[in-house]
Amino acid sequence: MTLVIETSGLTKRYRKVTALNDCTITVPEGRISALIGPNGAGKTTLLRLLAGLSRPTAGQLSVNGGTPRQDPAFLADIGYLGQEIPLYRRLSAEDHIRAGAHLNPRWDSALVRERLTGLKIPRDRAVGKLSGGQRAQVALALVLAKQPRLLLLDEPVAALDPLARRNFLGVLADAVALGNLTVVMSSHLIADLERVCDHLIMVASSRVQLCGDIEELLDEHRVLTGPSKDITAIERSQRVVQATRTPRQTTLLVRLNGPVIDPAFQVSEVSLEELALAYLGEEVPPASAPARLTPVTPGGTTPPYPPEPSAVFGDDR
Amino acid sequence: MTWLVWRQHRVQYLVGAALLAAFAVMIVVTGTQVSDQFHSAQAACAAGQPCQHLGGLFMGSRVVGFLVIATLGTPVLVGLFWGAPLVAAEAEAGTTQFAWMQSVTRKRWLAVKIGWMLLAAVIWGGVISALVTWWASPTNAEQLNQFDPGRFDIMGIVPVGYSVFAVALGVTAGALLRRTLPALAVTLAGFIAARVVITLWLRSHYISAVTTTYNVLGNFTPKGAYWQFASGVLGPNGQQLPQPNNTQYFDNIPQAYLPRACSEVTGPNGGNPTPACVQALSHFHAYLTYQPGDRFWAFQGIETAIFVVLAAALIAVTAVTLLRRDA
Repeated sequence: MTLVIETSGLTKRYRKVTALNDCTITVPEGRISALIGPNGAGKTTLLRLLAGLSRPTAGQLSVNGGTPRQDPAFLADIGYLGQEIPLYRRLSAEDHIRAGAHLNPRWDSALVRERLTGLKIPRDRAVGKLSGGQRAQVALALVLAKQPRLLLLDEPVAALDPLARRNFLGVLADAVALGNLTVVMSSHLIADLERVCDHLIMVASSRVQLCGDIEELLDEHRVLTGPSKDITAIERSQRVVQATRTPRQTTLLVRLNGPVIDPAFQVSEVSLEELALAYLGEEVPPASAPARLTPVTPGGTTPPYPPEPSAVFGDDR
Repeated sequence: MTWLVWRQHRVQYLVGAALLAAFAVMIVVTGTQVSDQFHSAQAACAAGQPCQHLGGLFMGSRVVGFLVIATLGTPVLVGLFWGAPLVAAEAEAGTTQFAWMQSVTRKRWLAVKIGWMLLAAVIWGGVISALVTWWASPTNAEQLNQFDPGRFDIMGIVPVGYSVFAVALGVTAGALLRRTLPALAVTLAGFIAARVVITLWLRSHYISAVTTTYNVLGNFTPKGAYWQFASGVLGPNGQQLPQPNNTQYFDNIPQAYLPRACSEVTGPNGGNPTPACVQALSHFHAYLTYQPGDRFWAFQGIETAIFVVLAAALIAVTAVTLLRRDA
């Protein structure tokens, strides 16, 4: 299995802020990886590091088999689209298509033209005069025309309406199915990601919480529902990611270390959304503190229903 | 890359070309008149008719004359309108990211963009200077003032150096500040500062000035368009005499220092000095410190080289900044 992305201990610090801390991930070839995490978690930083737009403070990274560098051959294999959708506002889509043809060894102008025609986006109008959604479509079509081996998309569908979103994700899935393309895209729309993604990278508070195949990750986690009682026994055998308590019931999201033997708990499968929310629900303990499980909200006060997720989880590593 | 540079900046280039063309038309039309006047006046002189003082000759139109002087400011225009936005406007709009994520290295991106802009600056400075130099050639021939600060700066090859420097300064300011408006301010201030410092304090020292000493009753005028720094009179002991004021002088010697033998000679320039007076005056010397006119092109070359080297240093700073910094 070829790894398109491989990082170890990747860290990016700005003057005072650590944007990404000790990030170790792998993404195999041919995956569509969902990069999720709260705002400011370090998603953009990670994507920019992978694209070679910024350089890490510490750690190693390998993208398409090499370190990101200023080299036409390396750049030709990377497609990157930032959140701000950078296009020349006074230039038309057609101008961008022609620029791309001049600037890239592989470039499928026909693909962009066809796609924009299909979307009824005028190719001769200045990009700055298009709507935000249309601009995003132009930028997405352009980044696909480059025919990269790795596509890094930062919130690509944020500006699109639901129908356009579904359409674009379909196009993306087709492109991945057709050739040796790997995609990493960040988004807050888990339902959308669930449709096309088969790989997950979750970051929160500058750290990677989860990284792996979505199916495997879902397989490793379970929701346990049982009476409101002491959970120390379970904590000993399973890793409790999140615990929610009402006076009558305890709901635990656990990462399985072995079979759940306590008959008082009912075991059910977990959805991607539940998994994401469980991990993103709470701040990670500071990097200096030893990773350990903190006790559930003390006192067992009665939270309103549905309860706020009072979370407990340890460092993933 | 060239295609994109042209597509992005073609409006700037076309506006620049249009301004150059308009200026050229004005200069050629009025310059032809000036040249005709000059030659007919010269011919009249040669034919023995009373010579008109050509310095007072009406040189083209007043507006064009003003425009010619105003070309002092043309190099900074390209620094402001071409140089400063080159990187800053792209950084502001985020389009550097579009360019840098194509299969083009930042180094090449910068080299092509700056390369074309510098070529445009050379053409801009060169064409304006060529037109001005041609237009002013009758004036130069008559007034011999092309070496003077202010005239020197709009002729020959220095405007090319200034334009190249202005563009490089604008690009660098834009690359460092990443915002167009502050970059414009820095470019304007930096350009004026560099020009003033070099004109006022550096230029006169490119080559040591020449001081010629001559008899106070004699006359000395260096050949061609020399650049004068100082003149005065040295007394019998070689001491510098104070500059005389208007009412008391005799061949630039203040009354108080005048030898006794000359005291009979009354009034400014009144009468011919007696032989005794001439004898006494032989101990006085006039001097003139100046840059000879034949150094004009050496000075042009040195000043152009200084500005080109400054431009190269600025571009190196830009390159290092853009290649090292996170996009």
